[in-house]
Amino acid sequence: MLLLPQIIYAENANDIIEKVVDNLNGKTAIMEISMVVKTSRAERTMKMKSYSIGQEKSFIKILYPKKDEGITFLKLDNSMWQYVPRIEKTIKIPASMMLQSWMGSDFSNDDLVKESSLSDDYDHALIAETEDDYNLELHPKADAAVVWGKILMSVSKQYYLPVTVSYFDEDGVLIRELLYTDVKAYGKRFYPSRWVMTPKTADKKGHETRIIVSDVIFDMEVDENYFTKRALKRFSR
Amino acid sequence: MYSLALRMAWASLARRPARSFLVVLMICVSLWGLLLMQGIYDGMTEQMIANAIRSDSGQLSLFGRGYRLDPSLDKLIGGKETENTREKFRNLLDSDPRVRSWVKRLRQNGLVATAHYSRNTEIYGVDLDREDRHGRLKSYLVQGEYDFGNRSKGAIIGFKLAEKLQVKIGKKIILSAQDINSDVTSIALRITGIFKTNNLGLDENALFIDLERARTFLGVEQGVSQISIMLHDDQQLASLQQDLQHALPNLDVLRWDELYPALMQSRVMMKGFSLVISIMIFGVAGLGIFGVMLVSVLERMREFGIMLAIGTAFSQVRIIILAEALFMGLTGLLAGMVCGGLSLVYFKIYGLDLTMFSEAFEEFGMDAITYAIIRPDYFVTAFVAVVLATFVSVYFPLRLLRRAKPVEIINAV
Amino acid sequence: MLIQLAIRNVLAYRKHSVITFLLGAVSTALLVFSSAWNDGSHQQMIKNAVEIYSGYIQITGAEFRKSPSFEHLLFNVEKLQKDVEAVAGVDLFSPRFDSFVLYSVGEKAVGGMLTGIDPEKERRISRLYSSLKEGRYLSKTDTNQLYIGNELARRLKLQVGDELAFVGSGADYSFAADKLIVKGIFQTGLFEFDATSAFLAKPYFDMIMAAENLATHGIVLPHDTQQADIVAKNIGRKIGAEFQSASWMETMAPLVKSMKLDSVFGYITLGIIFIVIFFVIMIYTLLAVFARIREIGIMRAVGTTPRQILGILLLESSILGFISVVAGGLIGAVFAYYFNVHPMVFSGMEEQFKQYGLAVSAMPTAFEPFTILRDMLVMFVLLLLSTLYPIIKVNRYQPIEAMHHV
Repeated sequence: MLLLPQIIYAENANDIIEKVVDNLNGKTAIMEISMVVKTSRAERTMKMKSYSIGQEKSFIKILYPKKDEGITFLKLDNSMWQYVPRIEKTIKIPASMMLQSWMGSDFSNDDLVKESSLSDDYDHALIAETEDDYNLELHPKADAAVVWGKILMSVSKQYYLPVTVSYFDEDGVLIRELLYTDVKAYGKRFYPSRWVMTPKTADKKGHETRIIVSDVIFDMEVDENYFTKRALKRFSR
Repeated sequence: MYSLALRMAWASLARRPARSFLVVLMICVSLWGLLLMQGIYDGMTEQMIANAIRSDSGQLSLFGRGYRLDPSLDKLIGGKETENTREKFRNLLDSDPRVRSWVKRLRQNGLVATAHYSRNTEIYGVDLDREDRHGRLKSYLVQGEYDFGNRSKGAIIGFKLAEKLQVKIGKKIILSAQDINSDVTSIALRITGIFKTNNLGLDENALFIDLERARTFLGVEQGVSQISIMLHDDQQLASLQQDLQHALPNLDVLRWDELYPALMQSRVMMKGFSLVISIMIFGVAGLGIFGVMLVSVLERMREFGIMLAIGTAFSQVRIIILAEALFMGLTGLLAGMVCGGLSLVYFKIYGLDLTMFSEAFEEFGMDAITYAIIRPDYFVTAFVAVVLATFVSVYFPLRLLRRAKPVEIINAV
Repeated sequence: MLIQLAIRNVLAYRKHSVITFLLGAVSTALLVFSSAWNDGSHQQMIKNAVEIYSGYIQITGAEFRKSPSFEHLLFNVEKLQKDVEAVAGVDLFSPRFDSFVLYSVGEKAVGGMLTGIDPEKERRISRLYSSLKEGRYLSKTDTNQLYIGNELARRLKLQVGDELAFVGSGADYSFAADKLIVKGIFQTGLFEFDATSAFLAKPYFDMIMAAENLATHGIVLPHDTQQADIVAKNIGRKIGAEFQSASWMETMAPLVKSMKLDSVFGYITLGIIFIVIFFVIMIYTLLAVFARIREIGIMRAVGTTPRQILGILLLESSILGFISVVAGGLIGAVFAYYFNVHPMVFSGMEEQFKQYGLAVSAMPTAFEPFTILRDMLVMFVLLLLSTLYPIIKVNRYQPIEAMHHV
């Protein structure tokens, strides 16, 4: 009997996550974003354009700064390739580099590849509910290859979009926090236009990565040609 | 007539107890030290070699051709062969009477990560039971259990790797690697055990997982990276290597000393070192016996002169002198062998904790506790050396006696 | 008076004196040479390891050695350089910037270190320049010219003049990539190092890696390498807590420890040999004093006190001990000096050295007068001790007993 409410919660939690993941990705999405990487010493801004179908395929092209212009990334399922025009080379990101920082930000290559895993790799439970938010606790499934011990997530009831996502290690130590704010309407969908990732570990003190979404087009037909290895070089220019 | 000689020799020794006792003590102590040194040093070298053999190379290791230069999943042993060929291959190893045991390992480079740290690692897909029978791998376990746990989701990792990742038993780690199609694949594991082999490469890098788990993880249906072989008899190593290389021309068949040349060199150096030290010690000890015998003969020149003058054969006198020297030599030898042998037996059973000399041992792939080795040849060498030193040491006094004219000696004093 | 008597006795009992002298001299020479060999080979191993790349004194950000990230760099290298070079005993300071990158040739990609160095200064603080194997060493004005380790070049199948690419991240965490040309290939003999390292001239490196006026660490060459520890401490005081200044004794602590360990074994072995020598000398002294027991008895009978006899005998063994220690010390010193100037070469031992992370197989002995004097003193005491038992024993005899002793 005591377990019953939890099961009901769990079902609800699953639904919430499904909606969140769908809202964050759309069927397809074409986005223009700028990314500001702040360290204890300096701040850098990058601009890029991304094309994606669901959670499985995405293509990213760097537009700014000048020295990185034309660098392209392709993500298919669990693999990632990068094309660098300066060296005219396509590189497959090896396993040993997956946890390295992506373009110097506080996101790792793995974060880009594994963004889909929120719904698949975790058991979800609704632990609290406020007037505006659902508070969810995500625990990795036994077999899931994720490093986190637990994720706490608050989801806005109004938009079914995440507000804060906190990542903990197995001992319950907070490792990093991702904030989604400034929800705006893009076509029929709502989308957070500002993301802030803050690492909480001592070695990353003073670091922060902000993503500002300047434009999103959801659910429009995206050229399948973007999601091939040839596209890396072809769309680099 | 020999009994007379022996009695005279004994009487002569007993007449100068301090002197005789010192010689015996000298031989005993030097032999004791030498035996201990040899047994402990050899024990140390052999332990390092045994650690490498047991934990990794076996006495022989098979690799796919070119694997060692470029360790990748497309250079496996039996990776592309038909089931029939592989069956034959297994039979070849199983049926060879020289082979005591053999194990298969599937290896791949990977990355092991926690929420805080990530490290490069060498993944070893192994069969724990077979590994234990093969190289007593279980004895290297320092924490946790020798088991991959429920549904083989466990990993046993080297203690240095565990230190670097700051993980304990029961903690989750994420292992990522390139699979056979060069796609990145990841898996969640729990640490079930931590081992310490003192084979530095392994302690720093290795992560053992279940062989079948490794197969599904890496998408390798058949074939292995390494086969490690143990023999019944060390002497057959070269012949087995030759035969296997002949039977399996597509593989690299390598002895442990080809995989760990530095260890073989330590063994050779240790042998040379022991030899030099032995020669020095026995040389000096021989000098001691020589001095005592020389004085002993000189003191009794008159006595011997009379013996020779009344018709005792020189050979008889020689026996008396030799017996005296041998008495001392052999008593010392026996005492030294007993002391040395007993200490070696003690250290063979209980081991010698060398960390009292330096805490640095474990950092250099040496075991903290060294178990002595006892080889019959230590004793044979010691016996030959002592007897030889004794004979050599009486040679000059005897010659002195032989050259001298009995009458002159008797009248000399 | 006693001395004259003692000298006369030493000369009179020539056989005993010669043998004791020889034993004493040979053991002293052995000890002196063994110490010289032990110290010399250890110093050489450490020197090699230090001089090949890691340097006598390393300066890093205070936290860098604990957590080597771009957060703990040396941020104002130019100022630091001035500060460090103002410290007494500092010859020069050379900054380096280490970064982990992915090298790529064709389909092949290998991870490794890419380091920006000052080619001119590097010549003096490390053996990179003298380890040149093919091609040419770097110069300050080089652009994308790479100086690469032999084993790394082999793994990537590169020859001098070949092109390769790298990707990595700059000091500001930005993305960095470039095409490089192999200018030279080096081989230090340290396998790990040669298999992972490559170098660019720092001006160009700084440009592509956004590392202007930055460094991961700096190497200081002291005027007197023996003083490295003191100089490192002085630098530490001058530059403050924001930095860490560590001498090779800290940065190479494991190697230093392993050398100590090796010494322990060396001395244990020597100890065993000395026990034997100790006994032999004791036996010879016993023989010698008992050969003179009648004489000693007579001396006692004519009124010489036991103390005086003890004094004479001790003086005799002191004189003998002194002469043999001096002779042995000289012989040992000559050998130590000779092999210090003409190091022994062990070409067969390279594997073993590599395991320690060492590359050179020529081993000079150490020539240090203080150590030699120390060893001579040790041997002198040992020689005296070994004669003590026979001397005391012979002195216990009553005069009459001694005179009639056969």
